[in-house]
Amino acid sequence: MGRQSKVGQGGAAAGKGGSPARVSRRTLMKTLGAAGVGAAFFSGGPAREAKAQHGPSHADKLSAEQLVAMYTDMLKIRLWESKVKDLILSGGFRGVAHLYVGEEAIAVGVCAALRRDDYIASNHRGHGHLIAKGGDMRRMLAEITHKATGYCKGYGGSLHITDVSLGILGMNGIVGAGHLMAAGAAYGIKVKGTDQVAVSFGGDGSIQGSFFTSAANSAATWKLPWIAVIENNGFQIWVRSSDVYGIVDLAQRAAGYGIEGRVVDGNDVLAVYNVARYAADKARAGGGPTVIECKTYRWYDHYGAGGAKIGVDGAFGLGYRSDRELRNWMAKDPIPRFRKFLVAEKVLNEDRADQIAAEVKQAVDDAAAFAQAQPVPKPEDGLVNVFAQGAVPLRNA
Amino acid sequence: MPKSKSFAILEAIQGEMRRDKLLTLLYEYQTPAAGWSGRSINLAAEFGRPRVQFCCIDEQWIVGGAMGMSMIGVPAIAHIPSMTTFIPYELMFNHAGKLRHMTGGQAAFPMVLWADMAGRYPFQAGQHADAGLESSYARLAGLKVVIPSNPYDAKGLMTSAIRDVDPVIFCDYSVPASGPEVPDEPYTVPIGEPAVRTEGTDITIVGYAPQTAEIARAVEMLKKDGVSAEFIDPRTLAPLEGVMPAILQSVQKTGKLLTSDDGSYSFSNCSEIVARVAEAVPGAKFKRLAFPDAPAPGAPEMLSYMRVDAAKIAAAARKMVKG
Repeated sequence: MGRQSKVGQGGAAAGKGGSPARVSRRTLMKTLGAAGVGAAFFSGGPAREAKAQHGPSHADKLSAEQLVAMYTDMLKIRLWESKVKDLILSGGFRGVAHLYVGEEAIAVGVCAALRRDDYIASNHRGHGHLIAKGGDMRRMLAEITHKATGYCKGYGGSLHITDVSLGILGMNGIVGAGHLMAAGAAYGIKVKGTDQVAVSFGGDGSIQGSFFTSAANSAATWKLPWIAVIENNGFQIWVRSSDVYGIVDLAQRAAGYGIEGRVVDGNDVLAVYNVARYAADKARAGGGPTVIECKTYRWYDHYGAGGAKIGVDGAFGLGYRSDRELRNWMAKDPIPRFRKFLVAEKVLNEDRADQIAAEVKQAVDDAAAFAQAQPVPKPEDGLVNVFAQGAVPLRNA
Repeated sequence: MPKSKSFAILEAIQGEMRRDKLLTLLYEYQTPAAGWSGRSINLAAEFGRPRVQFCCIDEQWIVGGAMGMSMIGVPAIAHIPSMTTFIPYELMFNHAGKLRHMTGGQAAFPMVLWADMAGRYPFQAGQHADAGLESSYARLAGLKVVIPSNPYDAKGLMTSAIRDVDPVIFCDYSVPASGPEVPDEPYTVPIGEPAVRTEGTDITIVGYAPQTAEIARAVEMLKKDGVSAEFIDPRTLAPLEGVMPAILQSVQKTGKLLTSDDGSYSFSNCSEIVARVAEAVPGAKFKRLAFPDAPAPGAPEMLSYMRVDAAKIAAAARKMVKG
């Protein structure tokens, strides 16, 4: 599986063939029209996006099965996280959570463009990335409640869920560090000579610290197969990014490193898929890194369930943002938007869409019951896994 | 002429890079090439890019990149210059040292942080004349810290560090080409195994590179005074569990422990060793010699006044033994 494999070459050709600008614009507008989003969608980087050489061709090639899988994954994230929110509000929750609700289209759009053997490095708001990469909702819920059968045997909790066998290099509690881990993995891919890619997910707050700089410069210098996905939800914890950044489109930063930067509507799963697939194909073909900024919004607080209610979407009454702003973004909910498109395209009918939602809800309820029933870790296990061998001595007696 | 420490280290890396076809070295300006007795090693020429790669002045990339690649099964060595030892501290603290535990044992960074260490030299000052940073690293959970004091240990510990599946910090102080002959073939010095450099019965002296040369001279001076000193070089600073039995056994025999540290007086590895011996050996006498809790001045008059040297070590030992 050399880096010059046919897969990689073909991907590059697909992204650059024909008269992409014309074709993409027409097909993309058709796609978006069906999804009920119109030109307003393009505010921000419209011209750049519409003329992009990647265009919608990738999304047009998605099979009905793939589209339904993407829809299902978005629902999994939404309902799993909503369950977590309800569990937090019910009291006695054994852990913490930084909820991803509202941003599902990004995780699903990006991960749908990846192979199982590709890598992702996630961040603190990473449950969605993991579900989209194939993470098991039961073991994830067991982990975030620190049970012995969770992904990390209860050691890590929400912030550190990892499954290297699925290419998940971990959620990460240090903002921006995932970019560096993924760029390092991308360097490792270069050493191995495979055509895998490594993706890092980070928020708008993740690009200013020096981790991002270190990752970006190295990826640009050696054309590493690295894709940085910047989920710009507008807030760095409780600070509005527009109050602390001198630029609006964070993907602009990419140019300074010699990297191609893209801005995309993070609430449109097909638009995200298109650009992610373009970036992945490019990376596999040796074309180097891409920075993808996805504009989106966080429905809940930075962490926890403040301002939220059981069974109700969104966190209201938070001091640093207005309820009106939240409602405006909730009206751009990526999931009904995608469902409407799938129904219009006759990929799904309403009954099947409802059925999928019911199945996902059942799976989430099962995950919650599973996690609830799982054993807690043995206390003495806190002393092992510090090193590969042995245990550290207990020092409190 | 024995092999230099630099040659010995490169020989270790060369041997491991030949054995493991993925092992990768990232570095800045410290070209991984050296010569000795008509032989030469040039890792860049032998292994090429990307396995031997110079980088821009960005220790965070060198270390973070090594971590990321090692996580997907590409073991890596990150070589950083001496004035930058703490730049990757956050990464080593929050990622390298914690990953295995945070993930319940499923993930790890099999990487080596090869940190050049400055040491207390005149005309350098402050940022370029530091010692003792190994103590700050040794305090972090989940990291192994080794500190060779001769070329033989340097090669053997580097080989062990590369083969270890846990992250290892290889503290590379300037040390003289002394000690045992360095074999051409690969060999290991096990991590966690101290060396008893000199056996003795009157007092135990503990110190590691870069103090070992001073201690060795002090032991010879004491011998002339009829004082039999036992000199133990820990070689590994973290974890200390493997190192302590030899030190405890020695202090149980001598009843006295003198430590000498080129780093700081406070919060140093020597402080930790003294504390552990104090817990375990009732009635033992202790003395800590160290560089004061101050930056290193550039002027040699100030620096040599502040440093520990052989004469000061011998004087302190005599006082402890003879009262």
